[in-house]
Amino acid sequence: MQVDFAAKELTLKLVYYGPALSGKTTNLRAIHWLGTSNACGELMTLETQNDRTLFFDMLPITVSSQSGLKIRLKLFTVPGQVMHNATRRLVLQGTDGVAFIADSQRSEADANRESFLNLKQNLEENGIDPGRVPIIIQFNKRDMEDVRTDEELEAIAYQSREPIYKAVATRGYGVMQTLRGLIRETWDKLEEEHQLENKFGVSPVRFMNEVELKLKHEPGRRER
Amino acid sequence: MQDDTTAADIMMGDVVRLEDVLSRDSVTSVAKSFYALFGLPVRVISHEGDLLADVHRDRPLCNYVNTLGNGERECTNTVSLVRDLEPNAETIVHPCFTGAVYRIAPLAYQGRPIGRVIVGPYVPAETQGPPESLTSVDEAVDVPTARGHFQQMPRVREDIAEELCAHLKGVVELLVFSGHRAQLASTMQVASVRENYRELAEKNEALKSSYDELKQLDQLKSTFLATVSHELRTPLTSIIGYTEMLESGAAGALSDGQSEFLKTIRGKADQLLGLISSLLDLGRLEAKSLDLHNEAVDPRALLAEVGSTIVPSANRRNVTLDIKVADATAKIWGDPVRLQQIVLNLADNALKFTHEGGEVVLSAEPGEMDAGGPAGLGAALFSASRPAVVLTVRDTGMGIPEDHLSRIFDAFYQIDAGTTRSHGGAGLGLSIVKQLVDGHGGKIEVTSALDEGTIFTVTLPAADANA
Repeated sequence: MQVDFAAKELTLKLVYYGPALSGKTTNLRAIHWLGTSNACGELMTLETQNDRTLFFDMLPITVSSQSGLKIRLKLFTVPGQVMHNATRRLVLQGTDGVAFIADSQRSEADANRESFLNLKQNLEENGIDPGRVPIIIQFNKRDMEDVRTDEELEAIAYQSREPIYKAVATRGYGVMQTLRGLIRETWDKLEEEHQLENKFGVSPVRFMNEVELKLKHEPGRRER
Repeated sequence: MQDDTTAADIMMGDVVRLEDVLSRDSVTSVAKSFYALFGLPVRVISHEGDLLADVHRDRPLCNYVNTLGNGERECTNTVSLVRDLEPNAETIVHPCFTGAVYRIAPLAYQGRPIGRVIVGPYVPAETQGPPESLTSVDEAVDVPTARGHFQQMPRVREDIAEELCAHLKGVVELLVFSGHRAQLASTMQVASVRENYRELAEKNEALKSSYDELKQLDQLKSTFLATVSHELRTPLTSIIGYTEMLESGAAGALSDGQSEFLKTIRGKADQLLGLISSLLDLGRLEAKSLDLHNEAVDPRALLAEVGSTIVPSANRRNVTLDIKVADATAKIWGDPVRLQQIVLNLADNALKFTHEGGEVVLSAEPGEMDAGGPAGLGAALFSASRPAVVLTVRDTGMGIPEDHLSRIFDAFYQIDAGTTRSHGGAGLGLSIVKQLVDGHGGKIEVTSALDEGTIFTVTLPAADANA
């Protein structure tokens, strides 16, 4: 988190993590497509090779709260391929919250687990306590065949420490819910650690209302 | 760009300074083409107040007012005010006393102000004539002249000026976006390479320390082997000595049974001594402390000697033993005792693994060996080869599987544990042979075909070269 008291500006870094081809970039594309243009900036895609992320994608979102505080959200994706671990670790530096995009297909269960362990390791190597950073999990690609059933996901959600979301990012389903969930978790954690309400006069409930308002779909831009 | 700026960039992906992402050349090109198309002066100023582009031509009106005392002062005031005006979110239209206006649009990127574009001075098309603020700015104003210059100012309708300004702002912000992307990509590239390098360096360090540890352990093993072998040999020498004395009847006559038992004790003790000697040799070879007493050795005598040693066991196993020495074979430059050890070990092995009715051939012939140049490079500097003697030990035994060939010279290596039980040996022979051959500056090679036999070829330097 970066705070500029003079400019009454707060910048949060949110990272979309997950195994290769799980749909991290697709999530950002969908948010960019669905989000209101006065909140979402340009989606920056940095160096791709055959449509695979090499460095990261970045989507800036600005929410001006009624209390006069400007909140800048920076959404990042990491490259999922195993060989880009150094880049993943760099992108993860200074993150305030993580959305872990898992692939719902049964065949990808191992890749999900491996990537999550990698996330934990990279957080630790960046001096971030994985137990204290807000993490939410999105089970993406719900429209594919041979995926974990809704019942299974409910059972997983019941046991999981992290909130679970379901999505079909290619069609925009669930991406905004995931983003709002991530923002809520992150804000709650920051409120707990930095007492934002005291400092900036923004209550978590009011903040989330403003986020909801800003991230509401523009007319005509529907989930496809 | 400083390193701390870079780190912040990577962490948050922010533009720290407009100048870092926007090249003066490209923004000036855009301003020039804008000026060429619409005749409107353009300035681009960063949030920090640096002028990044300034494309304008002095207008006769501006030149004229600057010749007047009050006019010059007013002009300077207006220009510096316009330069310092920073619009918040909306475009500001700032009037000049001449009746012209400046349009100042904020540049923003990712929700932050990064600078501004200033379009003007121009006269809004809606304006009729020069205002009083121009005609009365100084006592010396010549109104017809001022009016004439005023008419020559670029004129634009305000709604069009607003659109043009918004367009210019959009183009500059797009330039910032692509400049920022390029900056982040190159920063990430460098940072990733550094991070990869750091990771590799750490891994190399870990590998090196485990390699050093292994080397130390290997050294410990060698020392341990040498010590244990030495300590084992001393009492064994006594056992053999006393057994010999008993056999010779030094402690009285022996019954047949006693003699038989003593013979077994002696045989086993000799076997044990051989093994211990091998271990000691290996230890010395590994420590490079084995002294070789080199001299010219006749290969005929060498092979004959080895032949006579193994012929009884060959006869026992019904294996034909043949010795062939080519006529022109030179003498070998080496330690006679160690050379014998080499050939005996190979011949003994050959015999051990050859079935009844098979054949073992020991042969020597002249050959050549690499004189030590670096694999064909710089041949002009190195004599290509020197005379050598090639000793071969060929058998018609079971052969060695191909995947084992590269490891048979490793100490204690056995192709399978069953071999040890059926043929004896500790897997040290070939390792010692290899080290002895290396110690002589020679080389040993092996070729083998399963169920057809194995050929060991030892190439050693000929004596002539050294004599």
